[in-house]
Amino acid sequence: MAKIIVVTSGKGGVGKTTSAAAISTGLALRGKKTVVIDFDVGLRNLDLIMGCERRVVYDLVNVIQGEAGLNQALIRDKRVENLYILPASQTRDKDALTQEGVAEILEKLKEDFDFIICDSPAGIERGAQLAMYFADEAIVVTNPEVSSVRDSDRILGLLASKTQRAERGGDPIKEHLLITRYNPERVTTGDMLTLEDIREILSVHLLGLIPESEAVLRASNQGVPVTHDAASDAGQAYSDTVSRLLGEELPLRFHEVQRKSLLSRMFGGSRR
Amino acid sequence: MSLNADSADVAFTFKGGMLPMTVMELTSADPEHIRRQLAGKLSQSPAFFQHTPVVLSVEKLDEPHLALERICAVCRDHKLLPVAVRGGAEPVRQSAWALGLGWFAPVEEGRARALESVSRTPISTAEETAQAETTSSEIESHTAVTRLFRGTVRSGQQVSAADGDLVVIGAVNAGAEVLAAGSIHVYGALRGRALAGIHGNTHAGIYCRELEAELLSVAGNYKRLEDIDSQLLGCAVEVHFTEEQLEIKPLG
Repeated sequence: MAKIIVVTSGKGGVGKTTSAAAISTGLALRGKKTVVIDFDVGLRNLDLIMGCERRVVYDLVNVIQGEAGLNQALIRDKRVENLYILPASQTRDKDALTQEGVAEILEKLKEDFDFIICDSPAGIERGAQLAMYFADEAIVVTNPEVSSVRDSDRILGLLASKTQRAERGGDPIKEHLLITRYNPERVTTGDMLTLEDIREILSVHLLGLIPESEAVLRASNQGVPVTHDAASDAGQAYSDTVSRLLGEELPLRFHEVQRKSLLSRMFGGSRR
Repeated sequence: MSLNADSADVAFTFKGGMLPMTVMELTSADPEHIRRQLAGKLSQSPAFFQHTPVVLSVEKLDEPHLALERICAVCRDHKLLPVAVRGGAEPVRQSAWALGLGWFAPVEEGRARALESVSRTPISTAEETAQAETTSSEIESHTAVTRLFRGTVRSGQQVSAADGDLVVIGAVNAGAEVLAAGSIHVYGALRGRALAGIHGNTHAGIYCRELEAELLSVAGNYKRLEDIDSQLLGCAVEVHFTEEQLEIKPLG
């Protein structure tokens, strides 16, 4: 049975799309048939991060409005087998999404895929609510800063009340916390909230911690999800995150200040 | 004549007071429409309707004339006592006075929000409460008056106990709001707003394991985070209304 996972945060710019791209790539690399859907109608970015922006013909809204078939709109990833992208429309506005339309698409995708990753837009409006409505699990992306944590708290409240699972009763959505842009040095100096602070306020299962890394920016600009950069700290952290999502138990990495060796201090080696 | 009259001669003194007051914000001018909704509310929380004084706010209505007398009659039938009207055009003001009601000028936006959050009551926020009520981790107690909430009350959520005490086993996060007719007990960190004694019970208290509250209020007497002694922040405390002000002291 396919699992629908929403990647959401409330606040913008915390790394939702980067995370959705990296996690779906990680799942596909492990042989899971995965589709990642961009729900950010009007501000689509996922195709850029996934490096498939030149191959977009039809999008989510076309499919909902019956202008294209689902298979016409799905874009096959060039790098990994088993990975498909359903882009958002850049020209329509978000009212073009309907709950019935989204339900129909998800039902069809469930037949073919193991994982359906919904990349939510920022905010708590219609687009964000539709992205989360049918989810079985949620990954709440948070940066170590007060406003991001508060917005994540708000989203967790909505996940527990404004989703199909909440409305029908029964098993609630499984909530996971993903902390991104974590910089242990800046946490030590008090510029950023600590891991413990965030966990205490949100009291949600911690799925992963992604360190602030140059690899992420490079990956975004090159259109290659950072999971492919297996040598980088962020790539490894996303890989750990995917393992935990699949049920493995792994110790947390990259949350402590790393002592620089004498050589790297002398030559100013930067963290990759 | 001196203003400082001999105390023996004094029949009364005027005192400024901030009383908790329910504002009934009308979005319909149709008395029958109001009657139907009130009947529904009455069956949900009968304890709220005990000759509760209300201010009828007509600011959201865009009608110069109102069937004010009939609306008041509907309220009284449901054990709400209209004491004043807020907003409305000149004819509304005249008919309020004719009915023996007070009249308040419409409140400007910013101030309205501040006031509302201080004296918010379950009836004006039934919708938000409903949202919180669907939270799966919450268990409703069957002892009728005390309400038990298990889990974290998150930003944007509101949990209220319209008839009695509220017990939260978990934290109340910043941006969340907990309200109770009686006392509020938070077995966790209190980072949001806590309003106890919302119907005017000055004996209500607030108790929490870790004080970081944005706002504490007992029967409408409130303290903001800024007014709270910083030495008390992070401590387990109890909050009571004594000698005309809120007293916060460490627990135990």
